[in-house]
Amino acid sequence: MKLNDRIFGLGLLVIAIAYGTSAFHFPEPFAGSAMVGPGTFPKLLAALLGLCSLYLIFRPDADNPWPSARTGLELVTAVVVLLVYTVALVPLGFIISTTLAVGTLIWRMGAPPVRGFGVGLAAGLIVYFLFTALLNLPLPAGPLTMLEVY
Amino acid sequence: METLNFLVQGFGVALEPYNLMFALAGAFLGTLIGALPGLGPANGVAIIIPLAFTLGLPPETALIMLTSVYAGAMYGGRISAILLNIPGDSPAMMTCLDGYPMARSGKAAEALAISAVASFIGSLLATIGLIILAPLLADFALTFGPAEYFALFALAFATLGGITGKNPVKTLTAAAIGLMVATVGVDATGVQRYTFGMLELYEGVDFIIAIVGLFAISELLFFIEDAALGTRKPIAMNRLKLSWRDLVAILPTSLRSGVLGFFAGVLPGAGASLGSFVSYTLEKRVVGRDGRFGEGDPRGLAAPEAGNNAASSGALVPMLTLGVPGSGTTAVLLALLISFNITPGPLMFSQHGDVVWGVIAALLIGNLLLLVLNIPLIGLFVKILSVPQAYLLPIVTMVAFVGIYSISNSASDLYFMIAFGVAGYFFRKLDIPLVPVILGLLLGPGMEQNLRHALELSDGSWWTLVGSPLAIGLWAFALIGVLAPYIVGPLLRRRMPSGPAD
Repeated sequence: MKLNDRIFGLGLLVIAIAYGTSAFHFPEPFAGSAMVGPGTFPKLLAALLGLCSLYLIFRPDADNPWPSARTGLELVTAVVVLLVYTVALVPLGFIISTTLAVGTLIWRMGAPPVRGFGVGLAAGLIVYFLFTALLNLPLPAGPLTMLEVY
Repeated sequence: METLNFLVQGFGVALEPYNLMFALAGAFLGTLIGALPGLGPANGVAIIIPLAFTLGLPPETALIMLTSVYAGAMYGGRISAILLNIPGDSPAMMTCLDGYPMARSGKAAEALAISAVASFIGSLLATIGLIILAPLLADFALTFGPAEYFALFALAFATLGGITGKNPVKTLTAAAIGLMVATVGVDATGVQRYTFGMLELYEGVDFIIAIVGLFAISELLFFIEDAALGTRKPIAMNRLKLSWRDLVAILPTSLRSGVLGFFAGVLPGAGASLGSFVSYTLEKRVVGRDGRFGEGDPRGLAAPEAGNNAASSGALVPMLTLGVPGSGTTAVLLALLISFNITPGPLMFSQHGDVVWGVIAALLIGNLLLLVLNIPLIGLFVKILSVPQAYLLPIVTMVAFVGIYSISNSASDLYFMIAFGVAGYFFRKLDIPLVPVILGLLLGPGMEQNLRHALELSDGSWWTLVGSPLAIGLWAFALIGVLAPYIVGPLLRRRMPSGPAD
């Protein structure tokens, strides 16, 4: 199958057209030369990407296999874990959120969960104290305010 | 000897205890990262960059540390190649050919020692080459005008895939994507471009975030996909029995391969992969029938190791003198320079001489440190190999998170990083190389600026871009860079072992 490159090429073509058209609608700059406005370089890039995307559509390479549905789910889980890690970083603090995020990732990658969360906690504690106490870089403490180093 | 003077000054910078300490830490960390199977030098340097930033290191110290990481990763890469038969990056593939058989026949310690010495000789030769060639090239580059620079950037993109690259159009696609992302933000004339009204995008996309996302986060996703592979058990170590004669026996090989590798590193489009490949092939020719290449011949191990370490130092020549990196890792080093407001190129040699020569001296010292560090600590590095990847990658990801977060303490940077990671995963699935994307992000502003200057000087005539013999020559090379993979590529690729691309 050669579908991947074709679909990707099609997507890029749409982007190239959208990117290129908006390059024609930039406001005139007050300063600077009329020779090369803000749109000149983007127009060149849109043309380059357009040509490349046409090549991908008409001369695609063979597809790389996609992961199975199960592995795909693991990948989505990993991305979700990273997003939740980001959201939880400030409210839960660095140590708790790191324990949860690193622990979940290790567990999902096939290690025993208890050991995974243990490693996560250890890593969180070490990095937290390394950063706050030794390097003077603040990391969110969350509910564990008694750990804050002033 | 003006150069010698600068070099002495450089040693003065690199030997300051503070800098020396960071060089040592960098060399150690780099070897560790390089030894982790699957985690290449570009990844390693990418993860460490944000840390160098948040620590508030002065530019020369940060650069010295990262060059040491770079050199260390090259050293470390050979450990997993020899003991596990897993190359950490593509140049190390050739190391597997004779290194792994040698280790299997009970000579693991000798294989590691020989490769360390060969790496050292290769790097040493290449650093001397760098010292001689870089100032000459920097002087020559002073004659470049904006039109020539524009052509040079195009040349860099055209040759980045290397002549063994599979599909140059995909390299160009990747470059275009990177350049387009670089146009996001308020441009030099004060006009907002592609910001969609988002405040976070006014200053453009921070390439450090993009680099860490593309490399580190996409690596995590790839690991999850390959998780079924499990960990391989490294070959057990034996007591080192190495005589001077063994070392003398690989000396000619290392010298030949070092010189060859250096030139492969300097030339655009060749890089370390080709450096180690050409060195190995040539050595096989030279030694002829006496050799047992492929069955654990020490010379077959020394050649690619000297070749790839020389090439990686050689790759610093175009990066430092022209501001045009030829490999993923040098691109990441370029990112560091740009974020310190140091523009690489000929002027850097006069304006930031202490930085340049400090780095070159650090390269020499770093290699010596690595050679010394590698012999007593080899047992420790071997232990690292047996740590299951399920534990390593989540921790590496966490380090990337902390690094990016502590640059500006903002969650939006982390979202951008995750987005780049997911994009990087899809790019890799589609064989779209990541390095041109990053190079596009880095060189985009400079490329546009040079285009603007060139056209202003010529009153708007586009012919100025091909207005000098030098510019025409550069464009011609760029054209060759795009076309050569179609002509020479299939021939070369057939002879190279296939493996992971960096």
